[in-house]
Amino acid sequence: MAFSDVVDVMEGRVLVVDDDVDMLNLLSNWLSGAGFEAHTASAGAEALSSISQDRPDIVVTDLFMEGMDGLELVSEIHRANPLMPVIMLSGQANIPDAVRATHLGTAAFLTKPVAKDAFLTEVQRHIHPSAGTSTDGSFGKNLVFQSSEMAELTEQAMLVAQGDITVFIHGETGTGKEVLARAIHDASPRSGHPFIGVNCGAIPEQLLESELFGHEKGAFTGANTKHEGLFLAADGGTLFLDEIGDMPLGLQVKLLRVLQDFEVRPVGSVRSVPINVRIVSATHNNLEQLVEAGEFREDLYYRLNVVPLTMPRLAQRPEDIPLLAEHFLTELAERAKAKKKRFAPEAISYLAAAQWPGNIRQLRNVVELCLTLTKGDIIPLSMVKTALRDKPAQMKTPKDAKADFEKNYLESVLKITNGNVANAAKIAGRNRTEFYKLLNAYELDAASFRAPKDDN
Amino acid sequence: MSDQEKIVVQIDPDIIELIPGFLDNRKNDVTRIRDLLAAKDFAQIKLLGHSMKGAGGGYGFDEITSIGAVIESAADAEDSGGISDGADRLEKYLSQIEVVAEQ
Repeated sequence: MAFSDVVDVMEGRVLVVDDDVDMLNLLSNWLSGAGFEAHTASAGAEALSSISQDRPDIVVTDLFMEGMDGLELVSEIHRANPLMPVIMLSGQANIPDAVRATHLGTAAFLTKPVAKDAFLTEVQRHIHPSAGTSTDGSFGKNLVFQSSEMAELTEQAMLVAQGDITVFIHGETGTGKEVLARAIHDASPRSGHPFIGVNCGAIPEQLLESELFGHEKGAFTGANTKHEGLFLAADGGTLFLDEIGDMPLGLQVKLLRVLQDFEVRPVGSVRSVPINVRIVSATHNNLEQLVEAGEFREDLYYRLNVVPLTMPRLAQRPEDIPLLAEHFLTELAERAKAKKKRFAPEAISYLAAAQWPGNIRQLRNVVELCLTLTKGDIIPLSMVKTALRDKPAQMKTPKDAKADFEKNYLESVLKITNGNVANAAKIAGRNRTEFYKLLNAYELDAASFRAPKDDN
Repeated sequence: MSDQEKIVVQIDPDIIELIPGFLDNRKNDVTRIRDLLAAKDFAQIKLLGHSMKGAGGGYGFDEITSIGAVIESAADAEDSGGISDGADRLEKYLSQIEVVAEQ
């Protein structure tokens, strides 16, 4: 079965670099046939010029070329575009070269002669990392990632989705807690029934009680009709209680009773109604601290916190930022029925290294702002900088802010470079000695950022 | 097998239009290798063998990859006899092949 039989036609710009015209012709033909836009260069210098002009999404280069060889070319490319994926082709299965290429940040190392399907699969995998490493489509189509943090989290979430266990999601505002809750619902046996979300911190206590448990006609002033409430509306499905930490203490008692008895009694009613609802709750607060402070009931905390899941901050998963930006570009273009725009490679690098106090929600807003303000097809670095400057950061003392920023930044570059100190130092514009000093100052261990070896 | 016997090579129809150019370049390689051998330019011969080895199989000609590898190694060892044999083997193979589109 050919590549084209199993994979949808792909899009994206590929620059092929080889000093052998027959290889350039062959690889360009394969790429064009699969739907990619192929550009060619027959030497390293020509390749660097093409990267500036043609803005490829990925580079495929031969290792042995006269003048600038493939390894030098990778270094040059990553000097200006640290996140640009590069696939190396070599006529020799030479392990030291492959190791050097990997250390320099090469995405894949293929030996010539290369088979068409193997070649196209690698290009597709690295130009669109989501195709191989993010959601497989069966769990959370809106969960976009390639990071190990999110892979681990979704694996846990998929497991708990199958059962009927109460799930508690902790994470900062904007990290996508509701997206995860919905993914759990969609993957559960309850998926044919409603998923209903309510923000417990956004509704006044009296209204929230009625909203959740319902009320009888005339139960209180203004209750002109009977209201069944969200527990009953979600019957058979999932009720997502967002910002549960903000729920008033008085209501916490009533919620605890519902979770113990699995029945609700609408306001003004003398009769309880059985419910069949799965509860997924979430908060950005530290509930343990709220329990200690007497602001959250300990018994309710343990009732809700059966399976705890933690959504990472966006800055903890910088390798997902290019994927998420791409996801939002596609989504927003489809919504506006407009031609999809692209970020310039240096703009993507800047996005990946930013701090994102507002997490994914902030990233989406920045992407939308950039799309709105960019006239051409490519969103430049200057636009991203402008969009990010418009977002106020959380206020800290200058010293703390600097320390937080430096530590997060170091973690980000180590993640991007898979723990490779030489590459990380290069991105950070430091020499290795200075970079090691910084790592020591923040007690960071580069080795802990290396992905486990995949034996497959 | 006589010199005149044809060797049928099945080629991916998507690249069939590239084949005449690719084979013309290999015919030129035969001449260039012999000229370079006369000039004892083993480095250039090695590059030609290396390129042939890398591209042959991708186009569907595994034999060209194999001949390229032989020429590359022979050039590396400055083995004139081995290079000459490789050029002869390539010339003969090119005269025998018949390309058909893969069904």
